[in-house]
Amino acid sequence: MIIDRRTGSRPEHLRTDLTSWVVGPYHGALPGPMRVHLKLDGEVVVAGVVETGFLHRGLEKALELHPWRSTIPYMDHLDPESAVFGELVLCLAVEEIVGIVVPPRAQRIRVILAELTRLSCHLGFIARVARAVGSDTMLHYVLRDREKVLDLLELQTGSRASLNFLRFGGVVADVTEGFMERVHETVDMLRVRLKEYNDLFTFNRAFVKRTANVGIISSEFAKHLGISGPNARAAGLPYDVRKSYPYCGYDQLDFHIPLGKGEGGTQGDALDRFLLRLREIALGIDLLKQAVESLPRGPFWKESLMDNFEVPAGEAYVRVESPRGMLGCHLVSDGGKNPSRVQFRVPTLPLLQAVPDLLVGGRLEDLPVILASLDLGIAEADR
Amino acid sequence: MKPWMSAWDGLDVFPAGTPEWAVAASIVGFVYFFVIMPGAGFMAFLDRKISADLQARIGPNRVGLAGLFQPLADLLKLLQKEKRIVSGWREAFWLGLHTMALYSTVAVLPLGSMFLLVDTDMSAFMLFWAALILALGTMLMGLNQGSIPGWFGGIRVASQALAGAFPAMIGMICVGLRAGSFRWSAVAAAQGSSPLHWTVFSDPFQFIAFFVFLASGMVLLGISPLDGGLSVPDIHGGVSSHLYGRRLSLFRLGRFYGFFLWSEIAVVLFMGAWNLPLFVTDAIRNYSTPVALEAVELLVLLVKTGLVMLGVTWVARANPRIRADQITDMAWKVLSPLSLMALIGTTVWMIWVNH
Amino acid sequence: MESVFTSVLKYLREVYLGVKSILTSCFTALPYLFNRRSGDLHKEVTEQYPDPVSSRTADDLPSRSRGLLFNDIDRCTGCKACEEICPTKCITVENELGTEASKVWVAVFDIDMSRCMFCGLCVEVCIPQSLVHTKEYEGAAYYPRDLVISFGRGRITPEQRTKWAAIRQAKEAEETL
Repeated sequence: MIIDRRTGSRPEHLRTDLTSWVVGPYHGALPGPMRVHLKLDGEVVVAGVVETGFLHRGLEKALELHPWRSTIPYMDHLDPESAVFGELVLCLAVEEIVGIVVPPRAQRIRVILAELTRLSCHLGFIARVARAVGSDTMLHYVLRDREKVLDLLELQTGSRASLNFLRFGGVVADVTEGFMERVHETVDMLRVRLKEYNDLFTFNRAFVKRTANVGIISSEFAKHLGISGPNARAAGLPYDVRKSYPYCGYDQLDFHIPLGKGEGGTQGDALDRFLLRLREIALGIDLLKQAVESLPRGPFWKESLMDNFEVPAGEAYVRVESPRGMLGCHLVSDGGKNPSRVQFRVPTLPLLQAVPDLLVGGRLEDLPVILASLDLGIAEADR
Repeated sequence: MKPWMSAWDGLDVFPAGTPEWAVAASIVGFVYFFVIMPGAGFMAFLDRKISADLQARIGPNRVGLAGLFQPLADLLKLLQKEKRIVSGWREAFWLGLHTMALYSTVAVLPLGSMFLLVDTDMSAFMLFWAALILALGTMLMGLNQGSIPGWFGGIRVASQALAGAFPAMIGMICVGLRAGSFRWSAVAAAQGSSPLHWTVFSDPFQFIAFFVFLASGMVLLGISPLDGGLSVPDIHGGVSSHLYGRRLSLFRLGRFYGFFLWSEIAVVLFMGAWNLPLFVTDAIRNYSTPVALEAVELLVLLVKTGLVMLGVTWVARANPRIRADQITDMAWKVLSPLSLMALIGTTVWMIWVNH
Repeated sequence: MESVFTSVLKYLREVYLGVKSILTSCFTALPYLFNRRSGDLHKEVTEQYPDPVSSRTADDLPSRSRGLLFNDIDRCTGCKACEEICPTKCITVENELGTEASKVWVAVFDIDMSRCMFCGLCVEVCIPQSLVHTKEYEGAAYYPRDLVISFGRGRITPEQRTKWAAIRQAKEAEETL
């Protein structure tokens, strides 16, 4: 007997047979290679099982096979979209074991890069949501502005995505000529563009209809599964690693964490998650302005470290706030040439566990919207 | 002799004594090959170019002047992609039957004062025939694909066609009320050439009726952005997800035909049909042939139709797509009440204001 | 229970807001048709890739951008630091002793660009700074073997090896004298 979880008075309540549909591993609605086994009653999803692991690259093992200094480029591939956070979490862990105090200038450069990456990641999120609801115009506008942010990253680090710019004890190089001005220019442009996004897309009733009351994550559910990051904040949990466990001098910056307010629907629905990312873009613009204006003078890395770099035996667990949520890294060193064990706590995994519950009761057309609004990073989940 | 034949009588276009059916067939053939097929290519080009401009892209720019012949190149490419020619007589028979049924509705299309092959009291209703054939064929094609996307696409097409037909019908009745008939010639004669004399601006309720008619036609035929049956993000193209080669080009031509037909009917019903200012008509009558007059009328009609189609495309590109159930919801809960409101309003307006 | 009047008003308001927001979207996108948009320099964002109109030639890239690798073999000391640090092991270096004890003949210096991840670690550790990233990014090839770039001076024959050893020994003998 199929139990319709929604109200019984709908025409969908007619007794019909179920349809099975396996979506994936490659499908336009999916954020990456994954598989969703759907059971459909009409167009209403009654069960969904998520299958992952298509993108497993053995990253944690690969790190054990490489000398300390060669591990950093691999960390770019933990989540290629938010590359710098992988580097950051490994650098912080190593620095904690070795006991390096990173110069303030290097810390601030790290913050700038991290916030720029967060901007590009959130812009990519908007583009994916726009594609999920079939608004190609919005998709192109957002990707155009994301290019500007990626250009900034290329100007500073020499690469658009795989930065490989952070080192144990600092960063590779100082800020380039004209970088600060470009950052100012770009974030000012983004502010103007946010207005345009709102006019074109955010307040469009068709978009609100597609996302409001879809894929609701309540705060209890978020706590239960360990969901963190923007998705948890959209559900009303005021948890942000930048505030709770400040790193890289985030405590010197002045900012407030935006929370989901449940406009247009229920708190924690897809619309809330979308709006929260928009607010986080505005927050990122603020943070970037502060960071750029108060860039301290001084060295950008520990000069003495690079020759014969050694990590003593020890363990460390650090966490950073990546665009998708709390990214943790448990690092074990036995004092050898290579890391002994590296393990990551990625923010996408709890989200993947939440997907089956979010899909049930929704319609087939909600599937792309729900998946896009969760901002899943399959690369980091499968690693 | 039928009334429409008398218009062609005495002209040099057809030799004397040409039977009626031959004239009708050649007109239908002319419209199909010289209006609909080039129109499909040109509108596909304009659609792509304008969406590219709206989305800050370049769009087609390789084939011909500014990429004008890109649809032709696409067609040639699609035609040579076919591996098998025909997969059985059943399919060929069905396809032929369906194509004939669909394009026989060309005979009903009003395309100027001389292209009125079927000009009866009910001719305005005939367009539902075309729309429903198209919807039925699309649905069957989806169901026949043997895949989940095609299945869902087909069901969505059917449900949208059911939901859109009612408000479209009521919207059309509003025009019939004003014109006093559903005869194409009467509908055209009830309007003038200047926008002030168009049905759409004749009273506020006709204005509502126009948009209801256009929107419900989009629901009925599944024109973007109200095309649940062809939605890309979830069922990657739905009905058209497994089409390729010649079938894809035929399918696109059919979709264009539906869109063109509906916009053209909307222009005839609400936006002054093919009416030219009187002095222009007189001048052409005096200094040229009636065929030239018909050509100018056809051109005016096509330009107006193109503008309506571009307007719809503009709305489609700028807005997100809504869910299939929300589309049918909208048709039943918003468009239907509005169309009834427009019908009542028009009646009241005609009784109290115009008299 | 709200009155019929209120619910009808609510319904009409919803319809009005929907139509209004759809029109707002349309008119926000409209300026793009006429090439008037907020604070943008380029008309179109996308480019036809092989066209020369592309704003992104190799010279326009920032100075730090990491393209294909280039090794100045005259400055290379064959120290193999790059080979060691390369995370993907895409660099192969083979050395021969040269005519002088201090000079190393870098016989093979192959970089397999199909495995390179453009991380730049090898450039960072290169002490003589002979290995650099160019800004060249168009490295497409028909076969994977074409992606191996060779900078080495070439392998030497056994006769040459003995000959060079003799020269070297002669020089050493001179120095010790």
